Amino acid sequence: MEDYKFLFKVVLVGNAGVGKTCLVRRFTQGLFPPGQGATIGVDFMIKTVEVDGEKVKLQIWDTAGQERFRSITQSYYRSAHALILVYDISCQPTFDCLPDWLREIEEYANNKVLRILVGNKTDREDREIPRHIGEDFAQRHGMYFLETSAKEAENVERLFMEIAVELMEQAKCKELPKYDGSLGPINGKTTSVGDSSCCLRS
Amino acid sequence: MSLALLLEEYDVSTEEGLAKALSEIEKEEAEVDEALSSALLRACDLEGRLRTASQAYSRLGEIRNDAHSASDMVDKTAALAKDVSAKVRQLDLARSRVAECQRRVHDLIDLQLCSAGVEAAIKAHDYETGAGHVARFLSMDPGSVAAARARGAPDPRHAMTRAADTLREHLVRKFEEAARKDDAENVERLFKLFPQIGRAEEGVDLLAKYIAAQVSAGCARVLRDLERARPLDPGNPKRAPASALAAEPVLVELAKAHNTILLYFAFLRRNVQMDGVDEKTKQTNQEAIEKIIAESGLMRTAQDLLGHYLKLERYFLEENVNKALKMATPQAGSTTSNLVDDIFFIARKSIRRSVTTGSVEGVCAVLNEAGALVERGAAALRRWLRPAPEPVRWPLPPNVAPAPALALAAPALPRLYKDADAQRELFLAHMNEAESGAEWSERLAAEACEWGSSLSGGEGARERLISCAGGLAGAAGAYRAALELAQSALRAALAPPAHAWAARLAAPARADPPEELEEDADALPQALDVLVEDLRASLSPRCADHVLTGLLNDLADTTEARILQNHYDMPAPGRVGGQLRPGGARTHRATEAGRRPPSAGAAAPRRARAAARTRPGHTGAQVTTPSS
Repeated sequence: MEDYKFLFKVVLVGNAGVGKTCLVRRFTQGLFPPGQGATIGVDFMIKTVEVDGEKVKLQIWDTAGQERFRSITQSYYRSAHALILVYDISCQPTFDCLPDWLREIEEYANNKVLRILVGNKTDREDREIPRHIGEDFAQRHGMYFLETSAKEAENVERLFMEIAVELMEQAKCKELPKYDGSLGPINGKTTSVGDSSCCLRS
Repeated sequence: MSLALLLEEYDVSTEEGLAKALSEIEKEEAEVDEALSSALLRACDLEGRLRTASQAYSRLGEIRNDAHSASDMVDKTAALAKDVSAKVRQLDLARSRVAECQRRVHDLIDLQLCSAGVEAAIKAHDYETGAGHVARFLSMDPGSVAAARARGAPDPRHAMTRAADTLREHLVRKFEEAARKDDAENVERLFKLFPQIGRAEEGVDLLAKYIAAQVSAGCARVLRDLERARPLDPGNPKRAPASALAAEPVLVELAKAHNTILLYFAFLRRNVQMDGVDEKTKQTNQEAIEKIIAESGLMRTAQDLLGHYLKLERYFLEENVNKALKMATPQAGSTTSNLVDDIFFIARKSIRRSVTTGSVEGVCAVLNEAGALVERGAAALRRWLRPAPEPVRWPLPPNVAPAPALALAAPALPRLYKDADAQRELFLAHMNEAESGAEWSERLAAEACEWGSSLSGGEGARERLISCAGGLAGAAGAYRAALELAQSALRAALAPPAHAWAARLAAPARADPPEELEEDADALPQALDVLVEDLRASLSPRCADHVLTGLLNDLADTTEARILQNHYDMPAPGRVGGQLRPGGARTHRATEAGRRPPSAGAAAPRRARAAARTRPGHTGAQVTTPSS
């Protein structure tokens, strides 16, 4: 088996054409594929990163933004540890759809899921959404916020690394035994229950 | 050597010199004689050879004459042959001209017959013969027709072309008629005639049109069915299905329709691959067909269908699991539960159905949904297993008063007792459910991977499938946690009698007579027998053993602690040991004997070791020694 201590599922959502696939490709393969076709259903890529000397495997699910794949993509929300909601800073409609996406996240995702708002395509000259508008929105909805450019590789590495760090901190908090000490963990093994989806140990 | 030289060499003036010269001369003479005789001998031989040579010479002359005459003969023959072959050539030429003449005569005869024959065949609806005539005309040497024209006959081509056109019109009309009537046999028959009248392309066009119409009619049928299914939209209250049951046939149909489209795409891809062209063209064709497929309306339809299918499948799963949870919610007096069976039956059904969509995406999405719902079952069990169960039947030591609540309940209210029994049974049933839920989750995850492995999609699809099946494996953890919670609760519920027994076993002073003590030694094993029997009757062997092992550990620990706390007089260690040893042996027997199948297999030695380690007598005896 591969040598890693934590496995986290990260799911990217957002309107079609905001650059979800490009963000994933930039992070996992270090390239920016020009003329990227629309994603069909879901696709997943893996990258193992190191946080505080520990190997963390990020399983990144890249979803299709088009409406007709919604039934497929929704099924991936629940098992996600982090959800990245992406919009295009040069395209107002992709920002206007954010409340719809949040509603969907509320409905299908675990309520403790880590949520990050990402304004992509900062390389574009024709910005329509000022940075502070995005920041305000994120703050109002309790989300992390970051602006990125998959094309210029700006903040992409940082986005995923910060997610890895945050998720690892969360996982470490939960590592303590869940049950009352008097009964003790049976078989000397602890199992995370209930919100088990937040921490999968390898 | 000449005589003069000899004479010079030797001194002939002396006698001695003369003698020497003489001997030399004699020697010379002998040599000359010898040479002469050998020359004479060779003369004979040479003569013989000369004779042979002169004979051969005369024969050569004869041969030369013969050769001359032979060469003359050959020359004559060659001239003759030349004459003959020229004649043969002439004959050949004449023959081929005759043959051509004959063919042209035939052609001319046929030409007349053909145009008349085509008309007759059309009238008789015998299109095969008509097409045969046209084929004959088309295969004719153009020279024949030209020759016919040159002889002043009316150009037969006009008549023939007219006849062929009429035939073509007839064939097209008949073909369209047959296509309209969906008469596949006639369509095939007529299609085969088009190449004969030199209109193969037109025939292919017509057939393609016919097949396209057939396919679109088939699609329309499927679409009609799907339109009937489409109104079922769980998200829309007006179009929500009446029940999960009503959604099922639609789900089957949707999955089948999606699979059919995928099969059609697979067929197209395979066709491109099987075309016998070079690798490079194949590659280009493959890319082209992938582009056509990706951009086709049919692909969009397939995606819409899958989306619709998944929406409905989620509804089906949710409704059924809700129903199962509702039915399994503990009621007063209920002692059995089917939650896990019901949930996994539904999940398995949905996952199996998702495989019939032919798409890994579909299977993955259903696995995700199923994983979530299966976990809801685990959460419900956890909830129901949280309150500590009513005490399991483990009789208290003699002369120990039961807990106040139980003492009150026992004689006065048999109904309460009955309820407690039911609750206990239900608790144990839920424990079994949690155990089988964990097993089922893992089994279903493995099965799903196996079923999905037949679907195409390559390595990436397989990895996605495994990852999504991992959700089910995660649910197994939740069931196992519920089971562990219940086992701990059970042990906690058994703690008061365990304490009472430990207190009794380790009691420092007892004034009972010896025969009563003897009886007393049997009390614990007997009480344990009751407990073991009770647990074995309700729990799986593994689960029961787990609880018993834990319980015996607790008992041993508590007893040990008590012994260390108590103060003993001189005879006490012997008495306490005597009480513990038979008790321990019996306890061990009790836990071993009740084990139902003797084929415990590899686990048996481990269990025996665990039991031996927890034997209270063993621990007690060790501890009593130093205190004496």
